Amino acid sequence: MIPDIAQEGSAQEEQWVPEPKAPVVMFNNVGKTYGRYQAIGGVSLALSGGVTGILGLNGAGKSTLFKLLMGKLQPTQGEVRLFGTNPWKNPAPYARVGYVPENENMHDWMTAHEFVSTFARLHGLTRDEAKQEAERVLEFVGLSDVMHKKIGRYSKGMRQRAKIAHALVNDPDLIILDEPLQGCDPLARTTIMNVIRELGRMGRTVLLSSHILSEIERITEQIVILHQGRLLAIGNLHAIREQLDNIPHTIEIECGDAKALAQDVLSLEVVHGLQFPSPTKLKIFTHHLGEFHQRLPKIIVDNNHDVMVINNPDDDLQSILGYLTGGYN
Amino acid sequence: MEKKRGETIWTSLDRKATAIAEFTMRQYRTRISTWVVLGVGFLAISVVLLFYIDAMNTDIEAIDNDGDSYDWDGDGYVNGQEIKYGTDLNDAFSHPGLLNPPIEPEPASMYINEDDYDWDYSDASSITTGYDNDGDCANSSLLLSQQDGNGDGTPCNIILRYDSLNGGYIVFADPYVDEDPDEDRYGKEAQHRAFILGIGKLGFVFLLSIFIPLFLATGLIRDEMTSGTMQYMTAKPIARGEIFLYRMLGYLAIVWPYLIMLCSLLALVSGIMGPGDQFFRFGDLGVWFSILIAALLATLVYGMLFAFLGVLWKYGIILALPIAAWELGMALLSMSVPESSFLRMSIVGWSMSIIDSGAYLAWPDMAMFTQAGEWAGGSNQGDTFLMFGGNELPGYGALEWAQSDLGLGLGPYATTVVSVIVLLFQATFFWFIGQLIFKSKEIV
Amino acid sequence: MSEETTIDASTPVTGQSRMDAAWGSDSSDVASVAKSVAQTGQVFEQVYVPWEGKLNPRWMRNWAIFRHHVLGIVRKGHRPWGVPTKLVLIFVLIASMTDVALTLLFAIVGEPGLYEAWGVGRNNLYGHILGFFPRNMLYYPLVAALLVGGVISEDRSNGTSALYFSRPINRFDYVGMKYLAVATIQAFIIIGTLFVYYFVDILAMGRGWAWVLDTMPLFLTAVFCAILLVVTYTSIGLSLSSVSRGKFFPGIALLAILLGTKTLAAIVEGLFDRSILYLISPYDSVAHVGQALLGTNVIYDHPWIWSLASVLAINAISLYVLSVRVSSMEVTRE
Repeated sequence: MIPDIAQEGSAQEEQWVPEPKAPVVMFNNVGKTYGRYQAIGGVSLALSGGVTGILGLNGAGKSTLFKLLMGKLQPTQGEVRLFGTNPWKNPAPYARVGYVPENENMHDWMTAHEFVSTFARLHGLTRDEAKQEAERVLEFVGLSDVMHKKIGRYSKGMRQRAKIAHALVNDPDLIILDEPLQGCDPLARTTIMNVIRELGRMGRTVLLSSHILSEIERITEQIVILHQGRLLAIGNLHAIREQLDNIPHTIEIECGDAKALAQDVLSLEVVHGLQFPSPTKLKIFTHHLGEFHQRLPKIIVDNNHDVMVINNPDDDLQSILGYLTGGYN
Repeated sequence: MEKKRGETIWTSLDRKATAIAEFTMRQYRTRISTWVVLGVGFLAISVVLLFYIDAMNTDIEAIDNDGDSYDWDGDGYVNGQEIKYGTDLNDAFSHPGLLNPPIEPEPASMYINEDDYDWDYSDASSITTGYDNDGDCANSSLLLSQQDGNGDGTPCNIILRYDSLNGGYIVFADPYVDEDPDEDRYGKEAQHRAFILGIGKLGFVFLLSIFIPLFLATGLIRDEMTSGTMQYMTAKPIARGEIFLYRMLGYLAIVWPYLIMLCSLLALVSGIMGPGDQFFRFGDLGVWFSILIAALLATLVYGMLFAFLGVLWKYGIILALPIAAWELGMALLSMSVPESSFLRMSIVGWSMSIIDSGAYLAWPDMAMFTQAGEWAGGSNQGDTFLMFGGNELPGYGALEWAQSDLGLGLGPYATTVVSVIVLLFQATFFWFIGQLIFKSKEIV
Repeated sequence: MSEETTIDASTPVTGQSRMDAAWGSDSSDVASVAKSVAQTGQVFEQVYVPWEGKLNPRWMRNWAIFRHHVLGIVRKGHRPWGVPTKLVLIFVLIASMTDVALTLLFAIVGEPGLYEAWGVGRNNLYGHILGFFPRNMLYYPLVAALLVGGVISEDRSNGTSALYFSRPINRFDYVGMKYLAVATIQAFIIIGTLFVYYFVDILAMGRGWAWVLDTMPLFLTAVFCAILLVVTYTSIGLSLSSVSRGKFFPGIALLAILLGTKTLAAIVEGLFDRSILYLISPYDSVAHVGQALLGTNVIYDHPWIWSLASVLAINAISLYVLSVRVSSMEVTRE
């Protein structure tokens, strides 16, 4: 094969041109099975612009979805389109994509600067351009002071950021981050979240996956929920929450005097049930979680209640998934 | 991206190809195993080199091939001197001392190696050569017709006739011509040539060219896939076939300089240590060059093959082992039966034919030279009077083992060209299948 | 925030005051130090319940390791050997019984001439264990390479050695049992088939006690040579496994050592007619010892005692490397 002269990233004869009106990411009834195990079944999805969080438990098919998009896996059914192009066996659209794999192995023997600039050259940059570009993105993710140290000596958060830098190197239109916050300490987490939010503000399409709702919540409101390889919900987080409002939520409050608090709380019309598991514990049932949370602080402050713990056992992904799949009782 | 001014194919190549090649080289350089493998290879070749140096510095014991340094009748005159003066070898009362004027006995050492090995090279099918250095043919009491034993009209010479049936020369010698060659001179030359051919064929083309790719090339793609780091590279706008090719370039950028260095070192040492009066044996450089070409191509083809096996299957290296065994068999076959058609289904067979062509060009007298070793001054022919015959000259066995004729039935240049083309084709073929499989591999 | 304290014989011995004394600047017997009176943290009361279980004897734990490795060949739920490893083991097991099959065949056919060529005898016992082609070129080294492949190196690269070392198992037992397991599987193939060969000969030909007594020393010598071979291959293989990472590197390295040294020695013998370099080839050294002990045709020029010394040296170096590496092995993922 003649090395690519056109520098458009493809080994094909003609230049690759993205379809102008195609969505950045499109899945049309996509399914992927490994042997008899179905990782993804019948997912249809089209995304363009903004930050989108893909939520799902382990094994929900988040990574599979991304790998299908990156042409690492071949769909067993349906079609995957990246800028309107089929990515399987066709690396051309990756010119505009940055991908941060979930895999923790990296080229530990390189420095972050070498790592990023080497891979920048695969985008068709010259040696010098690649070095400049690498410095720029490493600065962007906040690694410029350690970029000449070996990746093997980085902490987990720094490694994640190096990976993100490598994905950002060509100023891509679409950035795919597979579990970017996994295993990071709160400080690294915040830095990475800021980077992702910044990317969203710059008008890039960002896809990130996580299994922690609160993490995604801090970055974006646009979410896709995957469960057991199926698409469960798409859309604004609040809209999804509103749907959840038809289902009673439970809030546990530990306080000095549960009965006193109960009296005050009952004045809220959103509360439709109470339970007293112990003298210092109060269980509240409500349909409108958001509203309740808005009004609860005022009650506590006004009446000077001694509240120690507010526990919201429902406000995690597991319970949302439970509601959405109808498993709640 | 906009095309910039001054963009040539080379600046374009510089971007992706050298990025991956440099990346691969650096990766090799940071691994200890690379250095261990290359170091052990160097050590192995050096051990053989030490044996070679030792052999070159050891005098080969002179053997009296025609037996004329013995004094059968115990009269103090060795047989050679008695023959010269026509006295009876077996009669103690017949010796040159009784002649008038009496002749002093000569030391026995004068009759060992008294006829040097000195045959002129010619590529004709029938050659007249050989010199009666000690004059025991021309000055003997033999009749002129007896001095011309082979009947070519010239007394005291040797005729070599090419036997197209057996593919070798047949020696027709007049009596007492070149009957006692210099073992040391012949043996050193033979050992020297055998060393170059042996180390080139089995050392470079077999041992190094199989084991180095086995260690270095098998994991070229597979290791990255296993550890998951291939994800970074495949997420870039570059075809997987190119990744395969450029990774290979990085591998070659490590292995080829190594082979060039090792080959030059051996060429240098053997050129200086080798027999002959000259300071450096420039004539051998052609052979070394062909060895280098063969080794470079062999590491390329084996590298492609093993990298392909690595892509093909997680346990691809297990498939490499039967192949290595097959190649060993083919290596030995090519040294004994170079025309066997099995060799066409190997890599080592084609590589070795490049070396054979190089040796054919650099040492055109090879067939004659080996024949001289086997003839051994006539001691391996029935018509000699020698009693303890049946021995080839020293070094002949090694040379016969290491040397083989051109097996393709073509001339040396044609053989080289055909072999190089075939090897390049094999490399391309393995790369092509490798990248096809790599392209349709799902990287989990 | 400090008060003067004197320290003398009557001071109660607590860690605190002793520490302070050590930091005191006064050189007299009675040290005067500044003692911190900062509020000490609350000590959580923890209930320690001593473990009262019974630890099984050492051999039982070791037996579990051994069993885990050996049974993995035939059963699930033990060490997962790769499918190719199992296939090669089956293939080699069958292939090394060619002499058994031929013995049976000719015993049934009743052709004494052919039988002589394949029945139990000096040369055939040697050939069963130490024959170069194909056994020691293709079969046994490949088996050894596949077995030693990941035995220690995978533990190193995956950090799974922690599974052993977090239990009451010392490193000697860990590596010893791995060694034994690998050697046992090889011995099953090499010596197991030798036994089969010998007994098939006895049964098929209806040999009497006289014959058995006659050939028993030879047979036992052959078994001894086989043990030597297995031990040598295992030592080299495991030491390679302990110095490298990954599944395949030790295997290829073992094959490269076994076949590379042999090729190298063959080059030197071919060129310079000197067999001394065979001493660096583990296979040839064992084969030389075997030839001398079994009384077959010796094909090497140097004395066989040298080869024996070489075998011992190779084993000693390998075991030394193995023990040094394992004892200094860090229990982590490398």
